[in-house]
Amino acid sequence: MTRKHSVNRPPTPDGAEDQGNEPILQEIINIKLIESGEKERLMEMLRERLIECGWKDEMKALCRAYVKKKGRNNVTVDDLVHLITPKGRASVPDSVKAELLQRIRSFLTSAAL
Amino acid sequence: MSSKISGRVSPQPCPHLLDFCSRNGSKPFRALQDCIRVKPPGGRAAIRREPFEVPRCGTCDESSRPRLYACVACAAVFCHAPPIHSHASAHALSVPGHEIAVDVDRAELFCCACRDQVYDRDFDAAVVLAQTITSTTSTSGSTVTQCKATGSQPDNLRKRRRVDYSLWAPNSRENAIIENHSIPLHDATNGSLISSTELPWGLRGLNNLGNTCFMNSVLQALLHTPPLRNYFLSDRHNRYYCQQKNGATLNGSKNSRFCLACDMDAMFSAVFSGDRTPYSPAKFLHSWWQHAANLASYEQQDAHEFFISMLDGIHEKVAKEKRKTHSPGTGDCCIAHRVFSGILRSDVMCMACGFTSTTYDPCLDISLDLEPSQGVSGKSSLAKSNNSCNVEADCTGSSQNCGISTLKGCLERFTRAEKLGSDQKFFCQKCQVRQESLKQMSIRKLPLVSCFHIKRFEHSSIRRMSRKVDQYLQFPFSLDMAPYLSSSILRSRFGNRIFPFDGDEQDGCNEVSSEFELFAVVTHTGKLDAGHYVTYLRLSNHWYKCDDAWITRVNESIVLAAQGYMMFYVQKMLYYKASEKQAASWCDVRK
Repeated sequence: MTRKHSVNRPPTPDGAEDQGNEPILQEIINIKLIESGEKERLMEMLRERLIECGWKDEMKALCRAYVKKKGRNNVTVDDLVHLITPKGRASVPDSVKAELLQRIRSFLTSAAL
Repeated sequence: MSSKISGRVSPQPCPHLLDFCSRNGSKPFRALQDCIRVKPPGGRAAIRREPFEVPRCGTCDESSRPRLYACVACAAVFCHAPPIHSHASAHALSVPGHEIAVDVDRAELFCCACRDQVYDRDFDAAVVLAQTITSTTSTSGSTVTQCKATGSQPDNLRKRRRVDYSLWAPNSRENAIIENHSIPLHDATNGSLISSTELPWGLRGLNNLGNTCFMNSVLQALLHTPPLRNYFLSDRHNRYYCQQKNGATLNGSKNSRFCLACDMDAMFSAVFSGDRTPYSPAKFLHSWWQHAANLASYEQQDAHEFFISMLDGIHEKVAKEKRKTHSPGTGDCCIAHRVFSGILRSDVMCMACGFTSTTYDPCLDISLDLEPSQGVSGKSSLAKSNNSCNVEADCTGSSQNCGISTLKGCLERFTRAEKLGSDQKFFCQKCQVRQESLKQMSIRKLPLVSCFHIKRFEHSSIRRMSRKVDQYLQFPFSLDMAPYLSSSILRSRFGNRIFPFDGDEQDGCNEVSSEFELFAVVTHTGKLDAGHYVTYLRLSNHWYKCDDAWITRVNESIVLAAQGYMMFYVQKMLYYKASEKQAASWCDVRK
């Protein structure tokens, strides 16, 4: 008995991708944010807040120290991103997170999603 | 092919970029030019095939990844979020010649094989051009600062090339030249217990003539400002000759009777004579009173106000001789400006249309606001500590998190883009109406000596009261001013580019470094109306406290803990440190 191969087999999803409805909703929200230009505005606001509170300077200092240690020619952008991502994510001030969430929430209600 | 911009070597292209450029030339980059979208104001450059395109990864269809790259060869977009997702790297590995990509949100080149940013001059030029087209610059506008000057683009600025500081010690030939052309200074102390081998030259107390510590403190700093000291001690302003000239043209006007530069000359001669008994700068005080009649009293004055007034007084006298009262920015008019005058650049950008107005103003010093004392990361900050500086050992990261104000922090805030409030709307020439604007300061030209004045005295006209801010400020012994220069500030607006900006001169006859060394600190203790000024001087790598007539050697920790009011930094190249041994200074050239 020969084994049958399913002809209509869907493409194998990337191992780390989530299955189910979540990515679809996220996708829709993301598209809406981009199309309305809100994402751009949120990014600008976020940049401003992170500069004001010294977060950017802190990350810069971390990167500088790392480059000093490793040598200028032995560091790649990926190394730096890998270095500061956990610390960066953890040190965003709660007030900034709250403001961002509030803006997104009000956007969602206004976009009637 | 390495080149230098602003004294820094441009990053070398990786082999993949070299290969790409040799095979395709600049055609692909020019094609990208059409896809550069710049959003005014702020002018952030992005790469989009159509203006409202939502970029997605060609493999996983995700549009929300933080980094998306468009392959320069085939224009396909891929995500790059290592370590899990990197379809950009997969693409580079699978298709040879497709290693070079461009970040769609930042318009920066990336080599997916090397996994690092790469730079191309032509590409950066194209991006900067696209960004500047959306904000034309104008150089109009006059300003009123301490030295009234027009704010036009300083083309009379000598082209300067920024170099790195390098050590120098005289070789035998140079030593011979120094010996042959100098006259040894003799120790003129009579029966003084302190021999010249213990204290450096030029260290002499100044008597307080009645609340004149504000003057004494600034004078001590100026007496040891290397270019100023060299000017007067090499007889560039001869007081006898000057008096003779002024005496001959005496026409009864007030101007010919006093000359602050002559009094400075007399003071330098007296202070560097070797005599250690305290000197009374009475003549100088009298001359200054005549110059600044409104401040002539025995009341306490502000040291900074005195400093500016004094430099102004020297300028008035000396500049009249040379008849060059304008263009103080170049410092050609008088020694005061030659030493202290720098040029500040101010950019005001309209938030609506992106139009930027640029003005240049000369400045004798930089007045800095203190940061608000609270820490920033939402955690409880350290209290505004006036005296503890041992916390710095723990704060390897940003000092703001630890709640300590630093001079660098103040300078960073000074050069940060600041949103002008809605009550300060700037008239935009393009929009022809008052708009909200973004203002950013930067330093176009560094002076030989940078004086930083900390605004500790607040005068509120509303509440009709003044107060003093005692907040401790940490200041470094060595300071690199590179991040605050116009070239650096402008560069940071355009992302990571190798592209020469305002102030980056690639050919030049004058070489100047951006590294500075601290040599004098004027401190203030006490209250606004009842306080005392003391100056700390750094000579031969030792610190000396100059408290009017009393000079004592102190440990550097005392200086670090002091409340800085005015800090004087000299370009490192003018401050080759004398060695620790006193003998290595001027006495050494005795035959």
